[in-house]
Amino acid sequence: MTKSTLYRNAGQNDCRSEWLPWGWCNLRRNPFGELTRDERVSLAVTDVVQWSETLQQAMLECQRVAIQFIGRAGRGKTTRMLALASNFPECSYTYVAEDEPCPAIPWGRPILVDEAQRLTRRARQAVMTSGEPIVFATHRDLTKALRASGYDVTTYTIGTSNDATLLCELVRRRIEASRDGDGEMPEFTRNDAERLIVRFGTDFRAIESFLYDQVQSQCYSYGEMRFID
Amino acid sequence: MAKCDLSIELNDGDVVQTGGGKISGIVRVRTDANVKCNGLDVRTVWKTHGRGNVATGTCETKTLFLGDWTAGHAAEYPFELEIANWPPTYHGNYLNIDHYVEAQAKIPWAFDPKASQMFLMRPTGGANAAITHATATKSGGIVGGILVGFIGLFMATFCIVSAMNPIVLVFFALAALGGFLFWFFRSFLPKFLLGEIDCKIEKELVSPGEKIQGTLFIRPRRNVSINKVELKFEAREQCVSGSGSNKTTHQHVFFEKVEHLEQATTLVAHQAHEFPFSVQLPADAAYSVDLSDNDLIWSANLRVDIPRWPDWRKALPIAVVPGDGSTAGTSRDTGTSRVPERSNRIEPDLPAVDVPLSANDNSLVTFAETANHFWSMRDNNDAAKMLAEAVMGLSFMIEAKIERRLLYSGEDDPHVYPNGYAVWAQYTDPPLPIALYVPHELGDEFEQVGRGIWKGQGTVVGWDHVHRRLQIKVDRPSSLV
Repeated sequence: MTKSTLYRNAGQNDCRSEWLPWGWCNLRRNPFGELTRDERVSLAVTDVVQWSETLQQAMLECQRVAIQFIGRAGRGKTTRMLALASNFPECSYTYVAEDEPCPAIPWGRPILVDEAQRLTRRARQAVMTSGEPIVFATHRDLTKALRASGYDVTTYTIGTSNDATLLCELVRRRIEASRDGDGEMPEFTRNDAERLIVRFGTDFRAIESFLYDQVQSQCYSYGEMRFID
Repeated sequence: MAKCDLSIELNDGDVVQTGGGKISGIVRVRTDANVKCNGLDVRTVWKTHGRGNVATGTCETKTLFLGDWTAGHAAEYPFELEIANWPPTYHGNYLNIDHYVEAQAKIPWAFDPKASQMFLMRPTGGANAAITHATATKSGGIVGGILVGFIGLFMATFCIVSAMNPIVLVFFALAALGGFLFWFFRSFLPKFLLGEIDCKIEKELVSPGEKIQGTLFIRPRRNVSINKVELKFEAREQCVSGSGSNKTTHQHVFFEKVEHLEQATTLVAHQAHEFPFSVQLPADAAYSVDLSDNDLIWSANLRVDIPRWPDWRKALPIAVVPGDGSTAGTSRDTGTSRVPERSNRIEPDLPAVDVPLSANDNSLVTFAETANHFWSMRDNNDAAKMLAEAVMGLSFMIEAKIERRLLYSGEDDPHVYPNGYAVWAQYTDPPLPIALYVPHELGDEFEQVGRGIWKGQGTVVGWDHVHRRLQIKVDRPSSLV
């Protein structure tokens, strides 16, 4: 009994133009795969200007200011953190993993901590006594602890504005970033976006995962790319 | 249009390039304003894309131009670059590997214009068996040492903790019982019934189109009825996305073949039963690849199905490598192909490490050389960790640019001096990230250095895999030692 699905190593007689799985729709890769940190920032559809200004002001006036992003997984907390980090060359960004010891936290202006609810007591104390502006992405409200350390806290719930318009923009940027050459690209319509929102709600990570499989199922195909059947 | 546009044209860009060879072409630059360029860099790189975290590697970088471009300027810069000979171009379901020529113009106070052009690469021959086995043995030794260390540590912790807290003793006892039951049902019971059982394969490294051949021997203690003996031959892509709680492992089996070596029968007591097997790999079999979070794994799993009894199972380590007759999988002059002894993965992009393995013999090794080795393998945590183990305890004169102090250096970090500090720094050339552990009495010295260059003596103590930094403990001033 043998089962084999499509896979390819480049062979001696292959040629590039015929070889690309999505060359037929002008894509050099599946647009919904994992991205590097830099790519994620450059493709983010977030408005971080307001938060950047708040932090900038706090740094100028040496105020203890903290911003908290609260939301469920897949709603865009980390993307916003990374987008903010790209605006501050002096900042430090630390991700606190679940099953590992609390990592080293470098000084920064501001200090950004992702999954901050996992910080150990000592690590949290070290961050909060630094006096520098803080940005936390967290699943648990840490306002009380921040206020106790003299911080002025503003909390934002992330994910409530995840709608079809935002999804359309996000998907279009992803597709454009995977362009192979000049010419037409697959079109992601508002109708596609609305149907996906109905199906997955505001969980954009789940939508990206679904779209990956959709695009993957159409490699070496022809005609028009279908994002939702 | 941006102030400056780049494009790349490859010579023979449509044909498959051979790994370790050269690729040439032209970088075209068009400007519509006066532009100062701090370097027009062109490089050959490989990258993964798909479901796993992106892995990437650079083969060769050249700077083609440095200076000013005037408005309306159009120029062509020819280049010739080496092509990495591993990993090969591959497209699957969750894992894809592609090679590119990338160009980037460094423009001060502006976004750097970039261009990239993909090309296909295939390795030109077989993995170098001698290097492979030498590395595998070394790897196995280190892994074995670590394992023995862990068991020792576990036993010591168990004794201490159980003496202090009986509840923890119960926890440890339950964990040990679970482990024992697993071993009892998975290993002991099948072997108890089947008696002497062994399996040999002719070679663990095979090439596409070749046969994997071996034999399963069974000499049971008593008559044993079996349902079947089968060999399941499988290839899968295994990719990890995210990290921590967001970590997800994606697996896609893209090849599966089941060979029935024996149907239902009775194995006669004290008689040697041999089950030879021979499975041919597809001629286009994808090569085994291990790129951190992006693996392509081949495995052969033997199973003796025993009715109303736990089955006997064994996974055979195999790796699919390019055909014989060349050095594919080994970098041009710094690389080595390697297959961990007890793994069916291949990690061929590790630069050869030529550093003393004894902590007492570093008179001939400079920190610059050591830093260069770490720099070349900084994207491969496993290799960097292995190198760190090899050079651990070596003391060097170090010159590093201080970046920032740590607010918190980790509760479990054993390297921090009591009341000491930890700072992040960067070696000058190459810009290798370093974590320096500073004794309390040198605090003032580091305060004065600020973000300048610090010079001093330090000892390698490990590799920080989270931040990809070489960990160095700054030596105490001799007057205080």
